[in-house]
Amino acid sequence: MDMTMKEWLSKIGLEGVRKPIPILSFPGIQILNIPLKEMINNSDLQSECMKVIAERYDTLASVSLMDLSVEVECFGSNIRFSDDEVPTVVGALVSNQEEIDALVIPPVGSFRTGVYIASLQKALIKVTDCPIFASVIGPFSLAGRLMNISKIMVNCMDEPEMIHALMEKTTQFIIDYSRAYKEIGAHGIVVAEPMAGLLSPGFHREFSMPYMKRITDELQDDNFLVVYHNCGPYTAQQAADIFSIGAKIYHFGNAIDLADVFFTGNVAPADHIKKGTVESTMEATKAVLKTCGRLPNFILSTGCDVPPMAPMANMDAFFAAASDYYNS
Amino acid sequence: MTQLVRQAIDEGYDADQILNEGLLAGMSVIGEKFKKNEVYVPEVLISARAMNAGASLLKPLLEASGAKAFGKVVIGTVKGDLHDIGKNLVHMMMEGKGLEVVDLGVDVPAEKFIEAAVSEGTQIIALSALLTTTMNEMKNVVDAVVEAGIRDKVVIMIGGAPVTEAFCQSIGADSYTPDCATAADEAIRFCQKLLASKFPSTNSS
Repeated sequence: MDMTMKEWLSKIGLEGVRKPIPILSFPGIQILNIPLKEMINNSDLQSECMKVIAERYDTLASVSLMDLSVEVECFGSNIRFSDDEVPTVVGALVSNQEEIDALVIPPVGSFRTGVYIASLQKALIKVTDCPIFASVIGPFSLAGRLMNISKIMVNCMDEPEMIHALMEKTTQFIIDYSRAYKEIGAHGIVVAEPMAGLLSPGFHREFSMPYMKRITDELQDDNFLVVYHNCGPYTAQQAADIFSIGAKIYHFGNAIDLADVFFTGNVAPADHIKKGTVESTMEATKAVLKTCGRLPNFILSTGCDVPPMAPMANMDAFFAAASDYYNS
Repeated sequence: MTQLVRQAIDEGYDADQILNEGLLAGMSVIGEKFKKNEVYVPEVLISARAMNAGASLLKPLLEASGAKAFGKVVIGTVKGDLHDIGKNLVHMMMEGKGLEVVDLGVDVPAEKFIEAAVSEGTQIIALSALLTTTMNEMKNVVDAVVEAGIRDKVVIMIGGAPVTEAFCQSIGADSYTPDCATAADEAIRFCQKLLASKFPSTNSS
């Protein structure tokens, strides 16, 4: 990549034809004609899988295998493997405070995490015309797999402190694991947090959002993006808190109507329209339009209400800039 | 909950009344709120736990009085699939409607559904699957029910994330429901229809 990920994102907004980024790696086993069980234990096959997908489809970015059993296996959970379905967790590893206290955060590289990191390193050599994101599990989803989904839901109400203790460990592991991907040159992570999508907005706010925010704050920078993934059924109700996580890209399932959400803003009314000049207002407006003007869900606006004594000439400039842009 | 149920028993309320007008009525409210996204999965699980705690105190009283459940359901996640949250929620909501539920757990082969349906005398077989590969196992269950000669004696309900109405029709199942509260309502509807049309039970005794 000859640009930062921040520049890459800005560039996307300017493109008229936008390529998709499906979460697409596993079906590569059909192209390579290999059993899934073999691929998930082999970094050469995994990277080859990502390569053949990239060759077949013109995507905006490549995403590694979204295998949500990798991290939980490191903690000691039993995993069932299949020839044609993603691995599944069997049973629960922790059920009480004592067991959570005794739970050791595994080292990065243990079990299949080593294979997955190596495969991404190889994929970075094989796939060079787009960024590559590593898939990792989200903190609540990992905690739910360690405890059992029904038990963790009930314990969110019965034993919140116990769940927070478990969340501290899952979050730390995800940060460590993701940092390993960052260090080898991945362009970002897709953090899969589907189990949090089953929570009420209140529980999501307490047990997932702050930990996701911590992961994002620790890792995201101009060269490494966090993509938040949640395909759960209550993402529409959780949306306000989800967006406070601070990820640069949000990836949702069909529980949320994306066409229903518009973004509007954000020419600063105090700095430019009130205190600025015709020229500065026009430049500020053009700058917002340059990055957002073509987005289908974007509507130009001021960032807040315009003060009463703002010069009308500056408002004229705001509208003139908008008219020039959309009529050109 | 147990304290309140004990209090109601001590005050002389009939066990059937405590169950129907107290516990099941409460779960019905939860079911309606769940459909409207006013409560969520954790609240349903906790409510069901409270209901079951209360119901456990009433069970010996109900048995002594000869009270029977409104209907009986065999439920399980199909063979090859280990996911159980959807099944568990349906189980709870169906019990919340007064149905007796025989839960076979996860990774249940077709023959086990048939054995349970016959031995327990159930009117409904409810199948859950979360994977696109395992949902095909639901057809095996339908075929096994036909082969066992009990197709006209049981209703087959299906549900799960990849499951659709079109899939339900394609495999010959009777009903697809998108969520646990609707599944419980549908099961009640089938049991009511059963009573009305005198659907014979699979248990010949």
